[in-house]
Amino acid sequence: MGGRHVVPAAPADRRPNEASVIRNSTQPPPGEERGNAVAWHRNIRTLRIVVQVVAAVAVLGLLAWMGSNLITNLQRQNIGTDFGFLDDPTRFQIPFDDGFDPQSPVWQMVLVGLRNTFLAGLIGILIASAAGLIVGIARLSSNWLVAKVAQVYVETFRNIPPLVIIIFFGFAIFTYGPFPILSEATTFSWPGSSHSLLILSNRTWGVPSIVTAAGAGWLGIALVAGAAAAYLVGRWRTRRGDRTGRPPHRVVWFLATFLVIGAAAFFITGKPASMSWPVVSENLRRIDGGFVLNYGFISVALALGLYTASHIAEIIRGSIQAVPKGQSEAANAIALSALQRYRFVVLPQALRIAVPPTINQYLNLVKNTSLGIAVAYAEVTALTLSSIGNGRPAPQSIAILMVAYLSFSLTISLILNMYNRRIQLVER
Amino acid sequence: MDPQNPYAPVDLGTEEPLPSLEPEGPREHLPPGRWIRKRLFNNRYNSLLTIVLVTVLGFATYRVGRFLFVTARWDPVVTNLENFMIGRFPRAERWRVIAQVILWAATIGLGWGAAVAGARFRATQSGVEYLEDRSLAKLRRYWALVALVVVLLVTAGTLGPAVVAICSVAAGAGLQKLGARVPGRWIGAVWALVGALGVLGFQIVSGFDGLAWLWTAVFVAAGVNSMLSQRGFPDTRRERQTRLAAAAAVFIAAYCIYALLLPALIETEGVGWDNWEGFRVNLLAAAVATVLAFPLGLLLALARRSGFPALRIMATAYIELIRGVPLITLLLMAQYFIGFFLNTSTPLSLVSRALAAMTLFTAAYIAEIVRGGLQAVPNGQVEAGNAIGLSPWKTTRLIVLPQALRAVIPAMVGQFISLFKDTSLLYIIGVAEILKIRELVHAQPAFRGYGIAETLIFVMFAFWAVSFTMSRESQRLERRLGVGER
Repeated sequence: MGGRHVVPAAPADRRPNEASVIRNSTQPPPGEERGNAVAWHRNIRTLRIVVQVVAAVAVLGLLAWMGSNLITNLQRQNIGTDFGFLDDPTRFQIPFDDGFDPQSPVWQMVLVGLRNTFLAGLIGILIASAAGLIVGIARLSSNWLVAKVAQVYVETFRNIPPLVIIIFFGFAIFTYGPFPILSEATTFSWPGSSHSLLILSNRTWGVPSIVTAAGAGWLGIALVAGAAAAYLVGRWRTRRGDRTGRPPHRVVWFLATFLVIGAAAFFITGKPASMSWPVVSENLRRIDGGFVLNYGFISVALALGLYTASHIAEIIRGSIQAVPKGQSEAANAIALSALQRYRFVVLPQALRIAVPPTINQYLNLVKNTSLGIAVAYAEVTALTLSSIGNGRPAPQSIAILMVAYLSFSLTISLILNMYNRRIQLVER
Repeated sequence: MDPQNPYAPVDLGTEEPLPSLEPEGPREHLPPGRWIRKRLFNNRYNSLLTIVLVTVLGFATYRVGRFLFVTARWDPVVTNLENFMIGRFPRAERWRVIAQVILWAATIGLGWGAAVAGARFRATQSGVEYLEDRSLAKLRRYWALVALVVVLLVTAGTLGPAVVAICSVAAGAGLQKLGARVPGRWIGAVWALVGALGVLGFQIVSGFDGLAWLWTAVFVAAGVNSMLSQRGFPDTRRERQTRLAAAAAVFIAAYCIYALLLPALIETEGVGWDNWEGFRVNLLAAAVATVLAFPLGLLLALARRSGFPALRIMATAYIELIRGVPLITLLLMAQYFIGFFLNTSTPLSLVSRALAAMTLFTAAYIAEIVRGGLQAVPNGQVEAGNAIGLSPWKTTRLIVLPQALRAVIPAMVGQFISLFKDTSLLYIIGVAEILKIRELVHAQPAFRGYGIAETLIFVMFAFWAVSFTMSRESQRLERRLGVGER
């Protein structure tokens, strides 16, 4: 916004020359200088204050009126207005979460919901970023077929409501789809190994996971240290590469450092972590061991990932096109290959333009996980709704829900604004 | 460089083209053989990619095609097509919906015609040639919508819907042609007629009583006012007074006739103004919420840009609060307790409450869009307005807003598409929109667990056809208005 360009509400019939002087609020109005002060109801300063006070009083009055109505109505309906229900037991089982005790208090249920929200959001973001980047680049491919396929992908997913995509995954692909029921689940394993790598059924998928034992804390610390060391090695390789002009092989060095430190720590701490393999239980009702993905989670993450990817692809395409063509031509001129041209010249510049709108899309994705309720995914909105169905007061529950989403969005926007400001400073 | 003449100007290429929407850029006409070589097999990677993709796509097309045309069981859709479109709307009153569709088609056609006439009027006034698209080009632009209508008509299997479709298209197209030929000074009156027709279409279903008449009277009066005024010239104080007096008289007369006489003469009972189900909810809720949210969003944007800190803080707080939460939480609020904020004796219907939530939600987004438009207007425009002695309000109304609103039309269409897609969330709070109808269809004993993918594909296609067409239109508008170019 351009400085303090103040355009106050001057009376319409004021003569132009007078009005234009008065608008410059740093100088006193000419009338005051000459001694005959403007009547208070025509004085622009008084009017400004009056207008604002009237507006504020009107809005606050409306809010107060609505608030008092709410409280009266709640008391009339015997709902109450306090948040004491948070300590009451939840009293219902969270679907696909056997570790949750129905007797735990409601606030714990909210935390479980938030965890699930962010889990689906995180996986969705990974899918959306990868797919969006690929599709966005593919849209600009010189290969007509590739560009067309990418365009069809974008135009299809962008124009279907995410909720419908989630339901399609949840019911047309999973529950009623081509996957077998759990007792006849498809199992994939290494040839010659009895451990299954992947168990596919229409409601749950099993994948291997890592279980930790005593001493895992030290291993974790060692891994963090290893990552830090690998980062430093990477920086050293970069600087060396810049100095000598020889290829730095950053990725190889980085991974090697990390793996060597990690493996050493693993054996020194006494192997505190081991693989857990998924197995279909004896009664064929559930998957034991490993990490169990339920169809709600997969549907939400996949559907939102693919939906958001169509938006991110458009952002990436726009950002690549916003990089001046001369950059690409310069890269051609110094004989970079097509891949190198993208990797070292075009993408670094394009991604910088793409960051703010992409983060907005991430934000939308996390907010859209609230649609998981349609496929019984136990994210925070679905659990809140179940809890309201169990007799918890709706206004307070929904207020907690809103505050959770709001604080998350506001934090992200704050970070984004800071990033934008930094980028702007760099540019000028 | 030309070796003969080293001083000849070097061709630096044409100016950097704008990021075009078609990645292939301007269409070049190559013979098929060269085209294939250039666009599909121009190097090793592309040849490999083409071969792999052709294989994969061929297989996928075969599987999808086989599913859609051979193995799919479309009978849940075919049997329930009417339910999908209008839900459990009383079948005896179906003619009201049909009349509404035709009337609104006429409204849209006339409005479109008036817009064309207005554009042509402005173009001739400023001495620019006005070019109009040919009808065939229009049909190609709307191919997705045409496909949806064709699918619906084929699925319906009877002639009734086809007759309705033909009547609507004929009414719309005819009035579009008529409206486009209206001379300049009548355009305002035509716009008033558009408003009146729209209200009439609304009342056909809601019944001919209540406040909607007020709007008809307003539109008629506005039409008279516009016809009396000389376009493009400010009239004298006396002329203005006469004009406004005439308009007021017309308003009172029209309201008296409509409110007192007509209800006594014709059948006035309606079916309830928000008795919407099926795909009607999705279309109507998005349209109504956008229309209702626009004034609120405009005010919020102006407040956020104003020099009054109190207004600015309140507007910013509202906008950021609403934009920070997902729509579903607001809809849940509507479902459970939005009525508690008001002191109403009779509870509002679920659709009305949902509409209220969607309106409040959309207003915040529209405010941000309009704010973007306001920021795009150069400060010099405001200063110029000040310089010729316009009051701040007149500067905003006559100079800033026309430019700002013109620039935000594409973004507004985008917001409408996004809201249209969001109407699917009404399913979660139990409004019988198309997804809910789909659930009800599968609750029928004949279709339990049967044709799940098929009904979902139908729903997807319905959503897709509408939003795809509109997003294409908004891109076209963006190019035509040259939003990105300044």
